[in-house]
Amino acid sequence: MNLFALTPMQESAGQIALAAVLAIAGFGFLLPQPRGRRVAPGIAALIAAAGVFVAWLYSTFGQPMPDIIGTVLFCFFSVGALGFGSVLVAQVNPGRGAIAFAFVILSTCGLFLLLAAPFLMAATIIIYAGAIIVTFLFVLMLSHAGGPSDENNRSREPWLGSLAGFAFVGLVLFSLYLSHGGPDSASAAESLKTTQRLPAQVLTADERNTLLAAVEKLDTVETQLAGDNVPSANKNRVAEDFEGIHDQIGTVVGSTTLSRDGSVLTRLEKVPMRPGEKLSPLRTDQQAKTVIRDTLEIRKLNEEAFKDLSNNLLDDKTKKSLPTVKAEYHKLREELVLLAGVGQLPARNVGNLGYILYADHLLAVELAGTLLLVATIGAIAIAQRKGAVA
Amino acid sequence: MITLWHYLAVAAALFGIGLVGFLTRRNMITMFLCAEMMFQGVAINFVAFARYHGNLQGQVFVLFIIAVAACEAGIALALFLMLYRRGKSLDASTWQSLRETGVPPAVDTEPLEIEVKVEDEHLAPAGVRPKHIPTEEEAARV
Amino acid sequence: MSDPIDLALIILALPLLACLNAAVTAVLKSSLSKVAHVPLVLSCAIGAVLGILLLLKVADGETHRWISNPITWFAAGNLKVSFTIAVDPLSAIMLAMVTFISTWIAIFSSGYMHGERGYGRFFAIMSLFVFSMLGLVLANNFLLLVAFWEGVGVCSYLLVGYYYEKPSAAAAARKAFLVTRLGDVGFLLGIFLLWKMGGWNTDLSALFDYIAKTPPDQGELTLACLLLFCGAVGKSAQFPLYVWLPDAMEGPTPVSALIHAATMVTAGVYLLARCAPLFAMCPAAQITVATIGGVTAILAAFIALAQNDLKRVLAYSTVSQLGYMFLALGTGGAISPVFAVTAAMFHLFTHAFFKALLFLSAGSVMHSMGGVIDMRKFGGLRKLMPVTHLAFLCGAAALAGLPLLSGFWSKDMILESLEMAAEGERYTGGYYVLLLVSLITVFMTAFYTFRAYFLTFWGPERIPEEAGHHAHESPSRMTIPLMILAVGAVGVGIAVEPFNHKFSHFLDHAPTLQLAFATSHAPVLEHHGFNWLLASIGTALALGGLGLAFIMYRKGTETLPAAIEPVFALSRNKLYVDEIYGAVFVKPAGVLAFLSGAFDGFLDAMARLISSLPRFVGWWVRPIQNGLVQFYALSMALGLTVLLTFVAFKIAR
Repeated sequence: MNLFALTPMQESAGQIALAAVLAIAGFGFLLPQPRGRRVAPGIAALIAAAGVFVAWLYSTFGQPMPDIIGTVLFCFFSVGALGFGSVLVAQVNPGRGAIAFAFVILSTCGLFLLLAAPFLMAATIIIYAGAIIVTFLFVLMLSHAGGPSDENNRSREPWLGSLAGFAFVGLVLFSLYLSHGGPDSASAAESLKTTQRLPAQVLTADERNTLLAAVEKLDTVETQLAGDNVPSANKNRVAEDFEGIHDQIGTVVGSTTLSRDGSVLTRLEKVPMRPGEKLSPLRTDQQAKTVIRDTLEIRKLNEEAFKDLSNNLLDDKTKKSLPTVKAEYHKLREELVLLAGVGQLPARNVGNLGYILYADHLLAVELAGTLLLVATIGAIAIAQRKGAVA
Repeated sequence: MITLWHYLAVAAALFGIGLVGFLTRRNMITMFLCAEMMFQGVAINFVAFARYHGNLQGQVFVLFIIAVAACEAGIALALFLMLYRRGKSLDASTWQSLRETGVPPAVDTEPLEIEVKVEDEHLAPAGVRPKHIPTEEEAARV
Repeated sequence: MSDPIDLALIILALPLLACLNAAVTAVLKSSLSKVAHVPLVLSCAIGAVLGILLLLKVADGETHRWISNPITWFAAGNLKVSFTIAVDPLSAIMLAMVTFISTWIAIFSSGYMHGERGYGRFFAIMSLFVFSMLGLVLANNFLLLVAFWEGVGVCSYLLVGYYYEKPSAAAAARKAFLVTRLGDVGFLLGIFLLWKMGGWNTDLSALFDYIAKTPPDQGELTLACLLLFCGAVGKSAQFPLYVWLPDAMEGPTPVSALIHAATMVTAGVYLLARCAPLFAMCPAAQITVATIGGVTAILAAFIALAQNDLKRVLAYSTVSQLGYMFLALGTGGAISPVFAVTAAMFHLFTHAFFKALLFLSAGSVMHSMGGVIDMRKFGGLRKLMPVTHLAFLCGAAALAGLPLLSGFWSKDMILESLEMAAEGERYTGGYYVLLLVSLITVFMTAFYTFRAYFLTFWGPERIPEEAGHHAHESPSRMTIPLMILAVGAVGVGIAVEPFNHKFSHFLDHAPTLQLAFATSHAPVLEHHGFNWLLASIGTALALGGLGLAFIMYRKGTETLPAAIEPVFALSRNKLYVDEIYGAVFVKPAGVLAFLSGAFDGFLDAMARLISSLPRFVGWWVRPIQNGLVQFYALSMALGLTVLLTFVAFKIAR
């Protein structure tokens, strides 16, 4: 491949540039023009561009394919999205373009599904394919004139437009190339293997179940913390219940009484990634980092809350009031739910999404709702026929 | 194994194709659909990063994008209706009245491809080709 | 009602209400504007009645000064300005005088202005004028005083420019405003200086008390006094700023009467009377005041000798008489300031009567002559207008200072004060010269006054064409004020001063004057009775002037012997003062303005050159604003690509 003794970076840049030029040529030929367009060379150029693009993709980021089904699906949906996108752009008839757009949406939704976002997939399909495309087909139908027309059979600056678009894409791709490891491709490939692929699950199903069970149990026994003091008759039972919860959480995140390290931490820090790889002291992907941080946080919270509760029950001098303790357990519960939700994709995706939306982004949700309302009113106001007989 | 980078590259390509369509196509509805396609490219980016970081922030972002896209669709629909009523065309280039004074309007010089009528192979019995009077509709098209 | 402050406030508020009333009717163009004079007449009449009540109250009262509760107008740091008024004999007498004279002028003008356009406007501004003057008289705070002072200036501007379509009237109004403004600059500077010296007080009474207790540096105080005097010079038309007053004749005649008799020009005299405690402390300022007064008196009298315009004769006589008042005020350092101020105020008082009378008579003449005022064009009006003739005669006699008439007594008092000052300790030579000057002026005054009288009313009857059917005696609402004022001009002097000394006793109690007396370094001179010698010299001179005028003008026409023709030419041309001003100030200013204009043109050219660059660039890049949305998007995308290229290849490395 290295015909001209180019550096890896130059080679990569050259490939990107070639793909971009081919794509520009393809769209330049294919975009509708009054004098007619050259379909065959256009399609050929586009296919060639796609080929170069795929070659570049696999030579730069490519991997052996242990997950054959996933790879095949990814290829399928990507090709679908890009292909139908090209059809939408090049199609003279806007109605057919809209159908192509529907396929783009479907392909994108497939990619969403691959990325463990089933709710988004559903939402996108409903809103785009169901609402937007239908309304626009409706408008098209209203305004359909038939025959060649300015808007469908002419393009504004087809060559310049394609140049702008694909020069932009080329630069983005080149930036991707630079930022994933740059020209030093040997070490890049190395680091790619260990840190930069999409992570596997970080919490096992057992651990997750344990945490959720603890949350459930917490919900049931929490009623005993009502009021300002625990009645002395109940003290033993409360202590037992909460100690059980404490230990249950401890088996996952680790605690002072059970073992020095929680199982999650042990697993994340110790397990080798792949035979022959160096043992990484700490997994460096973001998810693992988040989980480790959350785990440590929960461990601390768990210990503190239990200690405060014990002090309270034993009427220690430094005891904190019962409502404080209760608040601590509330916080612990929230963190537990979040940790249990991490990596729990896609099974509890909708629930967790809702949880985050309404816990962290409540204001934004409200604003988005307001925006929709305003847009509705605005649309009605704009579409009103001015001066029409009321 | 498919990595984050594959998704990013595909998203970039999708975005670029949408951009080309937005810049070159003159039908406002096609332009709008191309803009939505660019949105999809961005959404793929977000979701891929969400997956990469193992949290849901990216997905939340995409939800908001969908909300905004829905608003945009509503407004755009109303605008297109208005513009069509006024200009009897969905051509974005119909509307160039905001240009600087003294700048001549952009006019399409090339004639549109007119479908060449296949001449009648059979002349009328009188040997004279019947006079073709273009209907109003045809005149308007030219 | 019984409180003098309340009374004064009511008097002050009446013209303001009248002004609002008249303004509303004028703006609404309602039919009510035909009777727009009623509010002014009523408010002035009520004000006059109340003013006389107030006068009696002040004369009877144990206390002699009432100061209203200060209402803060604004305050910033050391500067505290409050709305506060003071009633004392000085202001009470002015209040009564202004309202009384204004009443008759208002009645007169309702006849004089009958049928004029802007009738409502005229009376609105007149009311505002009276209001401003009353406020000026009452104000007990320097900045408040300045506010009313400027109000008077604005009103005079508006009234002098009443016929604003006439270019000469507009120019005269502008001149009046700008010339007085020149003095106002000094006035304001003086106030700020006093504010600094006077313990950061702006209230007149507090400031005077402070300065009396802690006398500041003499030089500084003199400077402050002279700066105040600047304002008075501008407002009261003294040399060298008197040039506006004769031009102010462009306004309707009642306005001239109001300006000359009751409001406007007396403001300067009143200001100096109020500030007597300050002036009493610096004799250097006093002699300056007296000198300026003397120069003005003789200069204006000289110019008045040969004027052909009846109103202009009267205008110059006002300037001259004001010079007299300043002469009297200027003696305040050498003799008891109480006597000096009393003399000035007394002359102000009597002058108000006979000058109002003279102007209104002139107005009556002008009315019946169809707006002609040039004495060469008419004559022998004695038979035609008997009432006006008699009234003018009374006024002229009073102005000339014929014995027993009011002008005689007040002029005599001024001469007496000058004579005493000449016998005093300081600047005796100067005061002696000034005494001589004032005696010469007495002669000239009698001469020009009766010259105007003879030219107008004696000789064969001549009526200009413009008069038309107007050539008859004026209607009763113009003649009645004339009669009333004639009685005043004849009798008011003898009634209040020479035998019962009511006027001087009344003013004696004024706290301001007492304070001035306390602060002055003047020796206490015992009042040595009526000065028969001086009175007879004054009378002889006045009669001499009268006789000369009789000899020269009894035929009602002007035929000058060749010997005195140059003198009259000089007088007729106003001593070429306007021309001198033109050459000394206006021409250089014009040259300077031309140079500045040229320089400005150069700068403009530079600016235009510089501004043409962006215009050129704009012209060059204008085509990219072609209104095509997609073209804009394309430019944006291309630009973004370039930027991204830069980022990818330069920054990311």
